[in-house]
This record gives sequence, C-alpha cells and structure tokens, in this order.
Amino acid sequence: MIKLSQERNKSLLAVHGWSAVFLGLLLYAVILTGVASVFAKELGDWSSPLAQPVADPFRPGTDRMLREFAATVDPQYHEEMFVFPRAGDRLYAFFHKHETDEDGKPRERGVAAEFDPNTQTLIERREGTDEDVDAGDRANALGDFMVELHVRLHLPNPWGLLLTGVLGLAMLVAAITGFVVHRHLIKELFTLRRHKEKLLSARDTHVIAGTWNLPFAFILAFTGSYFSFGSAFGIPAVAMVVFGGDQEKMIETVIGNPPKEDKTPAPVADFDRMIADVRGRTDAALNFITVQHWGRADSLVTMFMQYPEGKLLGPTYVYSGATGEFRYAKPSLGLQPSTGGALFELMGPLHFGNFAGVFSKAAWFALGFAGAYVTITGLMLWTLRRREQRGWRHLARATVWVGYGLPLALAAPAYAFFPLRAAGELVHGPMMTVFLLVALAAAGIAWGLRSLTLARRILLGLTGLALLLLPALRLLSGGAGWPLAFESGLHTVLALDIAFAVGGLLCLLSASRRHAENAAADEELDEAVEA
Amino acid sequence: MSVSDPAVRRRFWSRFALAGPVVFLCAALVMCGGALWLPKGAAQIDNLVMPIVLFPAIWAGLFFYAYLDRSLARAWAVIGGLSLVHLAVIGLYVMQTMQAAKAAGAGAS
Repeated sequence: MIKLSQERNKSLLAVHGWSAVFLGLLLYAVILTGVASVFAKELGDWSSPLAQPVADPFRPGTDRMLREFAATVDPQYHEEMFVFPRAGDRLYAFFHKHETDEDGKPRERGVAAEFDPNTQTLIERREGTDEDVDAGDRANALGDFMVELHVRLHLPNPWGLLLTGVLGLAMLVAAITGFVVHRHLIKELFTLRRHKEKLLSARDTHVIAGTWNLPFAFILAFTGSYFSFGSAFGIPAVAMVVFGGDQEKMIETVIGNPPKEDKTPAPVADFDRMIADVRGRTDAALNFITVQHWGRADSLVTMFMQYPEGKLLGPTYVYSGATGEFRYAKPSLGLQPSTGGALFELMGPLHFGNFAGVFSKAAWFALGFAGAYVTITGLMLWTLRRREQRGWRHLARATVWVGYGLPLALAAPAYAFFPLRAAGELVHGPMMTVFLLVALAAAGIAWGLRSLTLARRILLGLTGLALLLLPALRLLSGGAGWPLAFESGLHTVLALDIAFAVGGLLCLLSASRRHAENAAADEELDEAVEA
Repeated sequence: MSVSDPAVRRRFWSRFALAGPVVFLCAALVMCGGALWLPKGAAQIDNLVMPIVLFPAIWAGLFFYAYLDRSLARAWAVIGGLSLVHLAVIGLYVMQTMQAAKAAGAGAS
C-alpha cells in the first residue's frame, strides 16, 4: 500500500479525476481507435485479400519485379526506395526523393506500386507526394482510417500529433495517480462486491478493470505520447538546436549509415540473392527493405526483420546495393548497440503489441479494450454523481454520444468503403463523410432523447447491427465467399467475419438487456463513487 | 479560506500555469538541452535519442513535482531555474556554432 498524507492524497485524487474528465472523451476516442488499429493489418487482409494467400511476400522473382518497376520511374526518385508487405500481403514499393513543402516541412515525392507476390504482376501504380500516394490507396483504406484517427484524430500535422501527445500525457497522469489513488491495489484487484445497486457494482468493475489495467495504461500512455511528440516536436526541436534545423541530417546521424557519397552509376545487385543471404543469417522473418541511392556506387540496402522469437530487439542487415555484398549487421539506430537505440527499439513492440504475432496482438486488444472501458465508466460515474448540476448533464450526454456513438461511427465507413472500392472509386473522402454523418446522427440521439438509457441502447443496438451486417456487405461487394476463403486458406477473412458477427450479436444482446441504472438514489451514487 | 478568496484563486492559477504550460516548456528545454550535455554513448547517439524517447518521463517528473510541492515559490524557483540553465546551455551552443560557421566562412573566402 502506498502511504501518503491526506492532503497529498486529495490532490492526487483531484488530478486523477480532472485529467480524465478534461480530456477523457478524446482519450477514449484515441484508445478505442488504438484498439482497432492493433489489427489494422488484419483489417486490410480481411477487406482486400488477394485471390490466394501469400506464403512469402519476398519470394524469388522480387528482384525482377523491382528492377522492371525502377526502369519505369524517373531517376530523380531513385534517391530512396522502400518495399514491404501490406494489405493481403501485397508488396508495396515506393521510389521517392526527399523535399520540403511550402511550410518547410519534410515530405517525400515519387512513384508507388503494389504487386501481387504470387503472380509477381503490378496491381496499381500511383504518383505524387507521400500524401497523394496514400490518398489513392484503396487496399489499406479501412485500416489506415483507424490508424489516422488514432494517431492524429484526422487533424493536419503537427496539430493532430500534438493533441494526441497531450492526451497521452493526460493518460500518463491518470495512470500514475491511479497507482496512488487506488492504494489498496492488491485488494482491489479482486474486489467485486455483489450489490443490488448497479452503481456500486459499476464502481467496483471500474476499479478492478482500472487496477488490472494500470501497468498497461502506463506503458501505452508513455509510448503513445513519445510517438506523438517524437515526430511532431521532439525531432524538429532537437534538430533545430543540434543540427541547425536539418532534420534529414539528424535522422541520418542517428540511423548511422555513413553517407559516403559516390554518385558513380552502378548496376543494382540481385535482390533475390541478398534476401536469400539474410535468411541464412537469422530465423526472423524479413519485414521491410530500404534502398538508398538506387543505381549508384554508394547504394545501401537495409533489411529490417520481424522480432526474433522470444526477443523484442533484433539487428538489421546492411548490404551494398551495387555489389550485393553483406556489409554489417546493426541495431535500428546507430552502428552498435546503445542504451538510446535499445530504448527506441522497445517503444514499437510495447505500443503496437506486435512482438508475438496474433497472440500478443490479442492481448493488447483486450487490454486496450479494458482501458477504453475504464475511461468511459469513469466518466459515467463522474457525471452520474453530478447529474443534478446542469453543466455536468451535458458531459453525461457527451459521454453517451462518444462512448456508444463512436463505435457505431467507426463501423460506418466500411459501408462507404466496400461499394465504392467495388466501383473503382476513391474511398477516403466518402469514408470520412460517412463517419462524420453517423457521428452527427449519434449526437442527435444522445441529445435528442430524454432518456440516456434509451439513447445508449439505441446506439449500442445500431452498432451491433452495423457489425453483424459487415460480412454480408463484404460478400455483396464482391468479396470471397466462405467456401472459397476456406479452400484458399484466407483464414483472416473467415476469422474477422466471425469476430464481427459475434461482436454484433453481443452488442445487440447487451442493448436488449440494459436496465435503467439511473434509478439509483443520489446517496447511493455518492457512495458508489466515494466508496 | 474559500475559493472566492482572491489569494486562493491567485494561488490556484499560479499553480495551474506552473504545472501546465511552464512545465511543458521546461520539459522541452530539458529535452533540447539534454541533447547537448548527455553522454553520447558507445554508438554516439544516446544524447540525441534518449531525451526524445524519455520526454514523457521528463514531463511527468516535472509535472508531479510542480503540482505537489507544498511551497509554490520553491516550485517556481526550481522549474524556472532548470529552464534558465537549459536555455543558457542551448544559447551558448547556438552562439558557438554560429561563430564557428562564421569563422569557417571567413577561412574559405
């Protein structure tokens, strides 16, 4: 038990409540979309599978594919190239150069292509800045929609990142103060009193979920605020002081590949041989390849691997792009292991939960879901206790709007995505329009109905319906049927169809069973929150 | 003392300003200044990477200190002092760099 003076404890209780209330609804939005983003790749695999599952995205023949693509790309974009598997394990390659936009912010411009690794044929080609190229991307649109909402709430850079960074700091405060506020930590891990009063039970479940979730909430808040502030503010600020504002130079320095410039044209080495070589050096799966200075004597090829079994850190392998010769193995940052590099490398797996495949992702999904539950139940308890005060009633309605309307609004863009993608149209704009319209309709329900319980039930029921119908929507838009998916081994398609159907049914059941907690007396409410 | 007491209100807003924007600014200065005085480590990158990765921890430490110190004046002095020291470190480095660039430019011409 953590012992503190009564005064300090009261201060921490106040900051715990206010940090959560002040930014709680936005925080809930970021956590919920984060939960969905854990499976962003799987959402892409589900919504845009290739005809056959891909056993190896980097199979022999990758060299010919990249070489033929490079020949069609303006050499000014040969400055850098990366290639990695995306939705349905399509191989996505982007030849680009680095430039600055009108505001002096760094951006990339070039030519991107998607390939089917099974047939080794070009699926799609897009040109422009990195933003233009992403805007034309259909295959990954559903997953990217969740990720963009999670990372920057679809706000322009750097404001979205700064806002989510502040939200991360608020969550960090709530998590740290939570350790102190819930002083009887061990006891509270297992205390679920059986009350007749629903609010006392609600308070207990909030505390249990919150207490179990505290270490995880701390990790997510820390790593999340690092990711937001790091790119939006940390790198530019440190680059401003140490490198006179040259962010490229700073990134080059911390990555540690010495840029010994040699612009002499040189043939590009065989990628298939380099890939075979790296696979002989490690059991970890190849994840990502970058090529600096394609077609030059100083060309470097860096191979990033998935986490080695049982580890959160693993080396990357660097080859000469001109000769194909293995140069050295290095950490992600720097040319040799370092404390800073190790800390940096830990941030990714700890935030994304992708270090042990689907199992760690499922754990991160469940823990993240518990975090969203804690946030929303905390807000509900807070507003219920103060429901007689006029100002708090709006927060109570806003809590129902965001708490139950956001899942519905998140399910809705799929209803724009599938038909438009089938018609060959761009999907990002309409998806956002549908999201905003449904969010607006949810606000109408939350503020338009007198009974909040009824509003909650309607929003939950609609979410259930939207999820339940997703597999049918996918099928009607030309998606693979279950027998075909089963025969072809498209297991993600089957698994997510079942998950959406089960999730939808659970929401519908829950909506039909909810009772009016609001009937509890004020004294019970106070007791519930202060107990 | 009640909330309507001007002294209490002033104290509240002073604490709010310190734990809010001032602490954030101080954390940013510590992050940037730390890049200049932290050891570079074996890979020569620790000074650049660690302040950015640990920014949330720097901020949280300063925030809780500013929020919990019973003496508001002392909290202002500590946070203000830390900010000024780092501002001086950054200013000194930027001036040195500019002078070196000027000297290099003069040498080249």
